[in-house]
Amino acid sequence: MNCAETTATAQAYIDGELDGVDRESMERHLVGCPVCAGRVHVQTRFRAAVRAHLHRPEVPFALRRRIEEALGAQPIAPRRWPTWMSLPRIVPAAAAVFLIVAITGTVRRSHDSMVIEQAATMATTQMPMDVTGDCGSIASWFRGRLGFPVHAPALGSGANCQGGRLVNVGERPAAYLVYLLSDGHRVTFLVFDPRDQPIESRDRRVVNGREIYLGSGPGISTAAYRDRGLGYVVTADSDEDTLTRLLTASFTR
Amino acid sequence: MKRPIRADFEREALPHLSALYGAALRMTRDPKDAEDLVQEALLRAYRFFDTFEAGTNCKAWLFRILTNVFCNQYREREREHVVMTEAESSSANLEQFLSGAGAGRDSETALLGRMVSADVEKALAAVPPDFRLAVVLADLEDFSYKEIAEIMDCPAGTVMSRLYRGRKILQGLLYDYAVEQGIIAGSDDAAIDTKSEGGAQTLDLEAFRRQKRGGDAE
Repeated sequence: MNCAETTATAQAYIDGELDGVDRESMERHLVGCPVCAGRVHVQTRFRAAVRAHLHRPEVPFALRRRIEEALGAQPIAPRRWPTWMSLPRIVPAAAAVFLIVAITGTVRRSHDSMVIEQAATMATTQMPMDVTGDCGSIASWFRGRLGFPVHAPALGSGANCQGGRLVNVGERPAAYLVYLLSDGHRVTFLVFDPRDQPIESRDRRVVNGREIYLGSGPGISTAAYRDRGLGYVVTADSDEDTLTRLLTASFTR
Repeated sequence: MKRPIRADFEREALPHLSALYGAALRMTRDPKDAEDLVQEALLRAYRFFDTFEAGTNCKAWLFRILTNVFCNQYREREREHVVMTEAESSSANLEQFLSGAGAGRDSETALLGRMVSADVEKALAAVPPDFRLAVVLADLEDFSYKEIAEIMDCPAGTVMSRLYRGRKILQGLLYDYAVEQGIIAGSDDAAIDTKSEGGAQTLDLEAFRRQKRGGDAE
């Protein structure tokens, strides 16, 4: 390793990111080159000094208590917790939705459906995908992983599938599909077994003879509907009218 | 009795509360925002805890959620508050000062030894957000480049360049503070353009390795 190469990789060396051969080569050079050795020494010392001066602040007691309360709270909301659903059976993920709503108020509640709430939260979280590729290969990836076949809804030539992820809705596996439209908007589909999953809300529209229920969350719109025994929640980072137009076009395909 | 999922979550996730809060405080630079950010991130993590693979790196998973929530909810506000841009950042260079003519152990001890935590915090807060986050994740939380790339959702090469720039700006600011406080004497020789050294080409470890492999093969 020469001086230029040492300069290029000094940071990786200091951060412990060089593998065996490169590290040895670097160290051989440092032994014989006081200039590079001095530079590495200063940077190592600086990193240690910064670290020594930046302490982890103490977590405020109030925050610990807020989190403890949020995790421990079991709010009762009859419309969301039907009698057939005993508390221990309910997935913790769903409970957390309540907690977020009840404790922090950060998820705006514009509808009463848990699955819509879940889809809205997932849409605003950049979750890693289990599978990427074109719509067809993503749909076939789900084969055997769910109790139902998944067909990636057709959104027109300007839409491309970005990825898919296996998720749970209630206690049943479901498919989560992410599309990117040519205008940069992001659309997600949650395809699930609709048993025990109410999707009805006040804002009901009929599109091509199909009932869809619209809602909105922070920065996104949602639409929920049933089709051939499956439930769908669609989200888009655009307004409800745009989402409705998108679905109208999709239903006619 | 606590439900098993909650007990699991408390065992896996809550030990990282202090690290999450420390990072949140440095990301938002506001204690109230930091508390809200941590609470939101932890509740979101709790909600999606079934997607966390037991045995994998829970801390990295939590930091990824924290970063996502921050980007979605606080980033725009944070941008408004950025008072120092790269162009305005200090051009002084710690390395040149410390390794320059006449410098030696004394100047190194004077600067590094007399740095105070308040100044380091102040300097870090003035580093632009992406660079600051890279420094916090690498230097305070010991994440690897690969883990930081996943947390920040960017390539490893970008992590390296953010880290490099972040440290450089931090060093420049600390050098300025030390000069202002008379801890060290300022020197024109020490001033260089922070952008000039270690450009993108020298930061790409993979390119370096490819080049090296190519060279070895010849």
